[in-house]
Amino acid sequence: MLDILGNLVTGVPMTLFLTFGALLVGVILGIPICMARRSHHPVLSNLAAAVIVAIRSIPPLVWLFLIYFGLGSGILRLSPLVAALGGLGLITAVNMAEIYRGSLAAIHAGQWEASQALGLPRWSRLVEIIGPQVARISLPAVATYAIGLLKDTAVASIIGVPELAFKGTYLSQQTFKGLEIFAAVGFLYIAMSLPIAWVSRLVDARIRQRVAQ
Amino acid sequence: MNETSATDIRPLVLVEGLRKSFGSHEVLKGIDLSVQRGEIVAIIGPSGSGKSTLLRCVNQLETHTAGTVTVAGVTIGPDSASHDRELQKLRRNVGMVFQSFNLFPHLNVLRNVSIAQQRVLGRSQAEADERSMQLLTRVGLADKAKQYPARCSGGQQQRIAIARALALDPQIMLFDEPTSALDPELGLEVLAVMRELAEGGMTMIVVTHEMHFAEDVSNRVLIMADGEIIEQGPSREVMQKPQTERARQFLSAVRDR
Ligand SMILES: Nc1ncnc2c1ncn2[C@@H]1O[C@H](COP(=O)(O)OP(=O)(O)O)[C@@H](O)[C@H]1O
Ligand SMILES: [Mg+2]
Repeated sequence: MLDILGNLVTGVPMTLFLTFGALLVGVILGIPICMARRSHHPVLSNLAAAVIVAIRSIPPLVWLFLIYFGLGSGILRLSPLVAALGGLGLITAVNMAEIYRGSLAAIHAGQWEASQALGLPRWSRLVEIIGPQVARISLPAVATYAIGLLKDTAVASIIGVPELAFKGTYLSQQTFKGLEIFAAVGFLYIAMSLPIAWVSRLVDARIRQRVAQ
Repeated sequence: MNETSATDIRPLVLVEGLRKSFGSHEVLKGIDLSVQRGEIVAIIGPSGSGKSTLLRCVNQLETHTAGTVTVAGVTIGPDSASHDRELQKLRRNVGMVFQSFNLFPHLNVLRNVSIAQQRVLGRSQAEADERSMQLLTRVGLADKAKQYPARCSGGQQQRIAIARALALDPQIMLFDEPTSALDPELGLEVLAVMRELAEGGMTMIVVTHEMHFAEDVSNRVLIMADGEIIEQGPSREVMQKPQTERARQFLSAVRDR
């Protein structure tokens, strides 16, 4: 059992890398997507809405295949890792955009008005006034999403990214101890999610204590 | 360019033929208003009569449908094709205080007062903070500088909001029912700060339900109803001897409350 665990643990860094890599891509790329979605320009906002629906409606597994075999068979040659990061990052980005949009709606109109009345330049309104408040409101939803994403990274095993689920599959095919192995895999996923939930709650509580809205 | 000296006799604020519609609903039906330097104008009237909208047109939080708004030499026309730069120029001279305070909850009190000084006036953080501390001292809240707004009472938050607006050295201050969200005692501390400002010669337009403030502190009272100014004149005269029947009805209704 211990050597099974020891073997599986080698997949953990890749799972974490995929999770945080895709999260980083999504958290950043989500900002322009959200801004496009909220644009007063109808073409831009409709386009963004369509992209969001399209990306969300297709299962991650299919996206990974599309990117890996689709792009990979053409001119671009993508490693499984890049394809997985790209696919999961894109899916995360549109979900972040929707989370941000919800948070923006929760911000009192007076915050915009006060910053306009003060004459703050646009970048300052976005980066210093509205942005931090959006981030703060989004935090719990982002943390919940991150835990979901952690589990979703398992699809990357399909295209051969050597993460936790991949190691589990490989090991079970070699040893025929499927039950023990996947029980251990499950245990490792739990062990990774708990700290994420814990850290997010800690950060949330600290901000709440200071800002107490 | 729009340098104006203290002896300038042109009105600081000039609103001419101002109309504002939201969709097909006309909320301001041709407002003319001029405010001289140092004047304190109170606007009263039933809710929904367009007081806030008028105030918000003065600093262009709302664009208007017809007419012009001029503040300290900067003129803005209807449905402003006005460039951001014109708006910034106009807003530079205008401070605004809202009913709901609208402090930035994620910034401490000092940052709330300092940030626009740095971004709008280009003051260094040290200069801005120094000015902020002066103003916070003036509104009696120097000890709250490092607190977050949520730790302050409503009255304190509104005084901080006043300091924040004053920090940009505006030529005129707009107040939209600054005490309406406050318990009466807390409202008093805000009114005291406003009285002091008035005594210091600040030009102010104050939308208010505080009839005492309108009568005692302001020089001129405007009564609005249904998007029009139905009566205006020196405060005592308007408050004690209103000429129109509608004004009489409104005043007796608020006094009975
Ligand atoms: N953003 C808006 N969209 C549509 N109607 C509005 C908007 N703001 C104000 N109004 C309408 O304009 C009228 C005047 O409102 P307001 O200026 O807030 O009145 P007051 O401040 O005197 O109570 C009201 O009928 C109100 O419903
Ligand atoms: Mg109002």
